[in-house]
Amino acid sequence: MTQFIFFSGKGGVGKTSMACTYAVRYAGEGKRTLIVTTDPASNLADVFEQPIGHRITSIAGVPNLFAMEIDPDQATREYIDRAMAPHRAAFPSQMVQVMEEQMSGPCTAEVAAFDRFTDFLDLPVDTDTSFDVIIFDTAPTGHTIRLLELPAEWSQSINEASTGSGQTCIGPAAAIQDARHKYERALAVMRLSDQTTFIFVLHPEAISIKETRRAIGELTKLDIANYRLIINGIIPPEGAENPLFAARLEMQRRYLAEIESSLPYPKQCMTLLAGEIRGVQSLRRVGRMFFDGESDPQVETFQAEQAVAKPPSYRLSDLVAPNSQRCTLFFAGKGGVGKTVASCITAVWLARQGYKTLLLTTDPAAHLGDVLGVPVGDEPAPVPGLESLWAAKIDPKAAAETYKVRILADARQRGRPESAIKVMAEELDSPCTEEMAAFDKFIEYATQEGWQAVVFDTAPTGHTLRLLELPVDWSKQIDVKVFASIDTAAADDVAKQRFGQVIEMMRDPQQSAFAFVMYPEATPILEAWRAAQELGAVGIRPGLVVANMVIPAEQATTPFTQSRRQMQEKYLAEITERFKVPLAPIPLLPKEIKSLEMLAELGESIYGVKMVRG
Amino acid sequence: MEQTIPIFDHMPAQTPAAEVEIFDPPMCCPTGLCGPTLDQTLLDLNEMILTLQAENLRVARYQMTSHPQAFLRNAEVMKLVREKQMDALPITVVHDKIMKTGAYPTIDEVRSALNGAAK
Repeated sequence: MTQFIFFSGKGGVGKTSMACTYAVRYAGEGKRTLIVTTDPASNLADVFEQPIGHRITSIAGVPNLFAMEIDPDQATREYIDRAMAPHRAAFPSQMVQVMEEQMSGPCTAEVAAFDRFTDFLDLPVDTDTSFDVIIFDTAPTGHTIRLLELPAEWSQSINEASTGSGQTCIGPAAAIQDARHKYERALAVMRLSDQTTFIFVLHPEAISIKETRRAIGELTKLDIANYRLIINGIIPPEGAENPLFAARLEMQRRYLAEIESSLPYPKQCMTLLAGEIRGVQSLRRVGRMFFDGESDPQVETFQAEQAVAKPPSYRLSDLVAPNSQRCTLFFAGKGGVGKTVASCITAVWLARQGYKTLLLTTDPAAHLGDVLGVPVGDEPAPVPGLESLWAAKIDPKAAAETYKVRILADARQRGRPESAIKVMAEELDSPCTEEMAAFDKFIEYATQEGWQAVVFDTAPTGHTLRLLELPVDWSKQIDVKVFASIDTAAADDVAKQRFGQVIEMMRDPQQSAFAFVMYPEATPILEAWRAAQELGAVGIRPGLVVANMVIPAEQATTPFTQSRRQMQEKYLAEITERFKVPLAPIPLLPKEIKSLEMLAELGESIYGVKMVRG
Repeated sequence: MEQTIPIFDHMPAQTPAAEVEIFDPPMCCPTGLCGPTLDQTLLDLNEMILTLQAENLRVARYQMTSHPQAFLRNAEVMKLVREKQMDALPITVVHDKIMKTGAYPTIDEVRSALNGAAK
């Protein structure tokens, strides 16, 4: 294996578990190993059951193993500190403060997180701090791709900036020359097959396969070549003794054949476990199964908790249906937990009740069209087969293109000369434009008139939070904008009013609801809880929780399924206990959800019934 | 990880001073294209710079965050910055003489300053 290993794949496929399994195995072989996460919703600490945080931390009980969670906020603060140190000595404190505030924008956060990430690819050799193996447990796919695309895009915009007007949108990257070489070296290392391996973790499912193919395609365009696959969650023989799991295993076999023929890379399978992976012992056990082919020695038995919390008396439909005013719903949670499915079920149910509903995704890796069974474009369009339902997929790249065209058209209308427009066009080819354009779209639809319900299938957690926190951030940015023409001031006022409206709407339970989607498993619950707390900090409370892939009680017929069902029951109780809001369960099904009929049926079973106190 | 970002080392210290120098207030993005709304003032400024450059004039624009050395090199600019702080900026310097503070100049103002200085 190579010195650098990236784990990639849609969130929720077991990427972190597999990355940790590799890390523990290599450390056990005596290799000095570091595992780094760049995922804003990292759960390394949960898997190793110890605090880690934003520094290299040794892992208890595993000699040679170190871990670090790159916290984007902390990285940004450190970056600003480093960049501002010389200015503090030279300029009045009031100005330093303004500079620091203005460096706190989303652009700087991107630069800073990326900067930290490349540090590990660019380590000095032969020092005491060097590692034999560095494993990156990367962020969920859509975000990962953007992160990995950045070096190419930035090298480009830095080059153009140094020959062009001398300005660039990565203004916050003060050490541009220094950074350029670092980013180029980082990309060079990622391209060398004898130094770097990209391991894709996927489930034998249509969406997971499609996503992996797309992700590998994007990386291949960046001249990255060394890939391996881990196909996770294969139902073992003892699991298939149950009809539901047997049907799912059948489905898995078909997809395994598809993977075999369409993804020509070295691959290895990993079994679905009866219990969950937590702690070093459990990682070693998984390592023996994965690397040495041992079978799962442990069918974990849980104390069956008879005293499961009684469901309160409420109607889930009351939470999602618009009352007098329009209702905006957000589905939040880690990527891959079923936000798309949950939002589709809800939007289809609302449309079937006769509400004019808009279903939107802001996730670059979204699969809205797959679940609905109809193509979805980047502008809202009626969904064939269901009156009242409209859908759109906000693709950041497409949005950036539209945004650029609109801005340049406006410049022409103002009579700016072609030379100036050419420079503007170059400046607009930056990663920040994508971020800005996606946000612009988000605001547009969040405030658009004419809908009774708007359902957002939001992007994976870390990204979602950033996107949702942006309105607040930008209002702050406008407050510190020091120089503005009358023209700009007026535009800012309009913008500020729109942002204010959106923030107000998100905070008001009469107008909106945040639904947290998760699997009934330890790590996803913790992640959702953290995400909920971060939103709580901006005054947004969860309205309901959605538990996905819940094994129906009547299917718990074999030791394997009973063990998994018991595990789920324990966690379903924990979800209710923690979040103290209504819970909507989506059952584990014998086949994937990919049609309006299935969505309608599920919507009826979830929202169509009144849950009564037992 | 403790090193500071060596911005001071990267400044091209020996380049001849530009005929027109503009010292910006601290800002996130000097293009006017970033941020939730476009800044037409900055777009006007960029256009003016392009026009002047097309007439073979050397125009330089300095950001306090990325070109602190340019500020520190000019004693008069620093004096204004220390005295009036934010109110002083932006500062426009033509042939080493401060011609305007607190707002960006129009192209006519720059032209007349250039002509005046030539005589």
